[in-house]
Amino acid sequence: MSGKPHRLAEGGSRIDRNARVSFTFDGRQLSGFAGDTLASSVMASGQRLFGRSFKYHRPRGLVGLGSEEMNALVGVGLAGRHEPNLRATQVEIHDGLAAVSQNRWPSLTFDVGAFNNKLSRFLPGGFYYKTFMWPKSFWKHVYEPAIRKAAGLGRAAEERDPDAYEHMHIHADVVVVGGGIAGLTAAEAAAASGLRVLVIDENAALGGIADLVAGRIGDGCVADIVPALVVRLNAMGNVHILARTTAIGHYHHNYLMAAERVADHDPALLAAGAPRHRLWKIRAGHIILATGALERPIAFANNDRPGIMLASAVRGLLARQAVAPGSTGIVFTNNDDAYLTAFALKSAGIAVRIVDSRQRPDGDLVTRAVTEGFDVSFGSVISKVEGTFAVKAAKIAAYRKGQGRVITEKRVACDFIAMSGGFNPVLHLWCHNGGKIRFDEQLASFRPDTHADAITAIGAANGTMSVAETLREALATGEAAAKSVNARAKASKIKPQSVEEPKRGALEPLWFAPATGGYNEGNKHFIDFQNDVTVADLELAQREGYESVEHTKRYTTLGMATDQGKTSNINGLGVLSEATGKAIPEIGTTTFRPPYTPYSFGAIAGALTGKLFLPVRRTPIFQWHTDRGAVFEPVGQWRRAYTYPALGEDKQAAITREILCVRNKVGLLDASTLGKIEIKGPDAAEFLDRVYTNTFSTLKMGKCRYGLMMNELGFLTDDGVTVRLADDHFLMHTTSGGADRISAWLEEWLQTEWTQYKVFVTPVTEQWAQFAIAGPKAREVLARLEPDFDLSNEAFPHMSFKAGRLGGHPVRVFRISFSGEQSYEVATPANLGQGLWDAIIAAGRDFGIEPYGTEALHVLRAEKGYIVIGDETDGTTTPFDVGLSGLVSKKKADFLGKRSLEQAYLKGPNRKQLVGLLTDDPNDVLPDGAYAVREVKDKPPMEMIGQVTSSYLSPTLGRSIAMALIENGHARMGELISFPLEGGKVVKAKITSTVFYDQDGGRIHA
Amino acid sequence: MPNTWLESRFETPLAHRATSDNTYVSMREISERGMIDLRGLATDRKFMVAAKSILGLDLPKQPRTSASWGDVKVLWLSPDQWLITCARAKAQALADDMATALAGLHALCVNVSDMRAVIRLEGERSREVVMKGATLDLTDGNYPPGTVRRMLFAEVAALLHVVEDNVIDIYVFRSFADYAWEFLLKAARKGSEVAVLSRR
Repeated sequence: MSGKPHRLAEGGSRIDRNARVSFTFDGRQLSGFAGDTLASSVMASGQRLFGRSFKYHRPRGLVGLGSEEMNALVGVGLAGRHEPNLRATQVEIHDGLAAVSQNRWPSLTFDVGAFNNKLSRFLPGGFYYKTFMWPKSFWKHVYEPAIRKAAGLGRAAEERDPDAYEHMHIHADVVVVGGGIAGLTAAEAAAASGLRVLVIDENAALGGIADLVAGRIGDGCVADIVPALVVRLNAMGNVHILARTTAIGHYHHNYLMAAERVADHDPALLAAGAPRHRLWKIRAGHIILATGALERPIAFANNDRPGIMLASAVRGLLARQAVAPGSTGIVFTNNDDAYLTAFALKSAGIAVRIVDSRQRPDGDLVTRAVTEGFDVSFGSVISKVEGTFAVKAAKIAAYRKGQGRVITEKRVACDFIAMSGGFNPVLHLWCHNGGKIRFDEQLASFRPDTHADAITAIGAANGTMSVAETLREALATGEAAAKSVNARAKASKIKPQSVEEPKRGALEPLWFAPATGGYNEGNKHFIDFQNDVTVADLELAQREGYESVEHTKRYTTLGMATDQGKTSNINGLGVLSEATGKAIPEIGTTTFRPPYTPYSFGAIAGALTGKLFLPVRRTPIFQWHTDRGAVFEPVGQWRRAYTYPALGEDKQAAITREILCVRNKVGLLDASTLGKIEIKGPDAAEFLDRVYTNTFSTLKMGKCRYGLMMNELGFLTDDGVTVRLADDHFLMHTTSGGADRISAWLEEWLQTEWTQYKVFVTPVTEQWAQFAIAGPKAREVLARLEPDFDLSNEAFPHMSFKAGRLGGHPVRVFRISFSGEQSYEVATPANLGQGLWDAIIAAGRDFGIEPYGTEALHVLRAEKGYIVIGDETDGTTTPFDVGLSGLVSKKKADFLGKRSLEQAYLKGPNRKQLVGLLTDDPNDVLPDGAYAVREVKDKPPMEMIGQVTSSYLSPTLGRSIAMALIENGHARMGELISFPLEGGKVVKAKITSTVFYDQDGGRIHA
Repeated sequence: MPNTWLESRFETPLAHRATSDNTYVSMREISERGMIDLRGLATDRKFMVAAKSILGLDLPKQPRTSASWGDVKVLWLSPDQWLITCARAKAQALADDMATALAGLHALCVNVSDMRAVIRLEGERSREVVMKGATLDLTDGNYPPGTVRRMLFAEVAALLHVVEDNVIDIYVFRSFADYAWEFLLKAARKGSEVAVLSRR
């Protein structure tokens, strides 16, 4: 007897037989109905096989009803849209859907990796750790790549995902996870208060398994209450229901994340602009977990053969999609619930017998089965299954608890088995953020205990298996949750309806169904189907001393990966309990980790991909730079023009041209990124004296001064020019990268330490577009711009400031220089920036003005020996180290870092000091960061005495120049030191002053 | 009379971005808004009086609020900082008048009209669009018209001003304008609407 799964002629509450849907599975054209899942429609086509197992490549079929499915993992979608490892039970079919099975090569029915199954004697738990130990190098190059190819699940798409994803933040007073009768009832009770209620359910249809449970509510069956409940909830403005949305994790402060599959089921939505997935970031007042319970498989020999399913899944397929798992079946159970599956099968005209491991069960459903003439074998188990790609027969044997192996057995032909080992409350979300659980002997499972967060579990998730009790619990919890968020929340006044349900007999735990043969040899009793962990693996781990359940988990991979132990956790503990003689609560449980089920990387990234991956800051001249063909470099989040190569010009040539243009004619630099901070108040001057190493209280109105800033440790953190705008009013410039950091630093000192100072600090960086006009012709360019102020050297000397107008532009002009040339920095309100830039270019045309980028800027300053914070300093560099002791006041009573500079270590000998370097061969350009050594040896290690901080080819000098921090550098002028480079070359360089060009500074004052 | 090439040319950060008709809320740059950053101590009576004498209103002291008088709006930024908004053409004069009135007092008043870009969202789902990029509880009654607060929006610092129930101004620093605009184009894309909880 080997019937195939098939579609029944009638029935199917979810499907629309008038709406045909066609799709492909492994390239095979199949069809189903609207309302089918991939699982139900493939089964309906007569196919049982869905994939190969992880380690042994055993053929596997469908087992579960929903997100607990561990075997039927499929890849869905083509090219960049391909998403692996989806549970076929949750994939809704639509026209054009393309799905593939996983972990098989070359095909599902003929799989080379299945050889592993023959080798399985040699592949026990911990096999990888034991076998692939030697030789060491083989792991990386031989073993791991081979294992990765043979094991593993789906493959990731290699193309770019063309779809959009997004995040959504929401706050709700009460969040209900799970839209079954418990969740919906609780939501209604909570919503009556007027508070905001969010209901999340992972399925497309609400109601949970209401359609699969026994009993009557009022005049109808249990599921009948769902549609009206949903209508009432949708009518309430304060309730929002998210279907196809999985609550994937619960975190601190009742922060919940949920992944919504917005458009997977309907490509038309994607085309209309919907995101494929949406990640919800939910802040909840109170969380109600109504996540239900998942059925446990039973560990019997070859319990993983295609055709062996959970009893609830068989019932679900029959009721919802009218799919029969075969034509002759066995229901194997240790509890009453699975009897419902037997009844459903019989009603559908499918032959079925019942095997119940209990000796004398007495529940109403059992009585009914006996009365109705079912063939029930009490005190029996299935001891063996025959068939590889499909179940062909089962052996039934008498069973007593504690029995090690089977003596006599009876062979029964069948083509499917519906198994039920009891139910486990879904505790994942309860446990993610530290909820405690306790073992319940009646359920033979864990249920929620205490939790530090505002979270309550109800219904089956709380271990409450009766419908009547579930509804009472839901109403009470919904109201209580609303009250806990708002003490004045109104009561719901909803009255519980009368419920009739069968009396249930007790479940008897069955952790292991023995098989024939000495020590069950040759039989596999699977516990964790997804990770291919068997009872024997767990027992072996125990014998090898992996006593802690957490160690066993890692050694055997029980309950790991995408499955997170949904169906395997308790069964595994049951086996360990029997192997060790300890009770399950003594063994404890492993940690449940988010996500509950895997979700896409697209959802994690949300909208922040492509252009939105990283915020890029643009100056007012950004577009001009782009149009001019500038090469950009990142400076913090800014993009600054690095150089402007002309057509066909390489970068180095462009940089050289720009530098010479500044030295010989005039150049224009976009310096808008410089930090600008207005500082005002009666104590402003004193405040600046404290934050800078040098003195600003003596600065005259309209004058500029370069300042050095240290932290409390005496190390340089920033530098820049500060201008005195008025007696109590200054404008500070910081480095581009330091703008935000320094204004926060100043605020911190004012707010926390120097609260007596009357000083206000307002960052104004972005108010101004600021440009440097630098070069011998700078003044002449400025003159063409019709300044309303005197440009003469006498009226406007180096390090002074003017406010006025250039033509129609209100400007602040600072005569300051970072190039060593005559130089003016011109600032105008940012929205006028591009206009002024264009005007300067026009005014400078006759003088040969050219824009220059940041690399030219760096070479120009290096030729003059000007430091850059972050190049010449590394966070442990003092002003003394860089030769700027002249800028450290000896008169001021105190300033930040002053005391630290007195430390012996910072004052002592052998500090690395900043010096200039001229290589022996003027064409040798030392690499940035190259190390100088005390003595060159044949091979490392060599004692290092310092490193290059900046190094360039100087077009001005026609040779290379560099700066370096060298041990006792200031005392070593003229000394020749060695830099061994990669490849064995040694560059020798002479220590010099850092000022390579225009030593007397005449050009700056010209 | 300056040469024409020397006349100033006004160009806001989003001038190069066309408005899109593929968004489910309307979004546009408000370019004609002047902005003045005012700092002073709310406990300093002379300062508060001087500010009122120029603005015609009391500076709001309640966190996250704003006040308005004619076309002048004052947004609370911190216990000692306000953002005054007005017509751009009037901003410099208003800042100058304010500085004069505050002479001799401990205060700092700066015209920062060009420092930020202002993007206006208008439409029934404006709040929802903001919630795609910020953690704020905008469906809540805590955000009535007039509410002002700083927020992390997508990946950048921003200032939120609820102008009317369905009208929201988002202020971002000028350099981030393009990023914020790009984010909003994506967040407000037609077809990506989300039904969210209605407000209490």
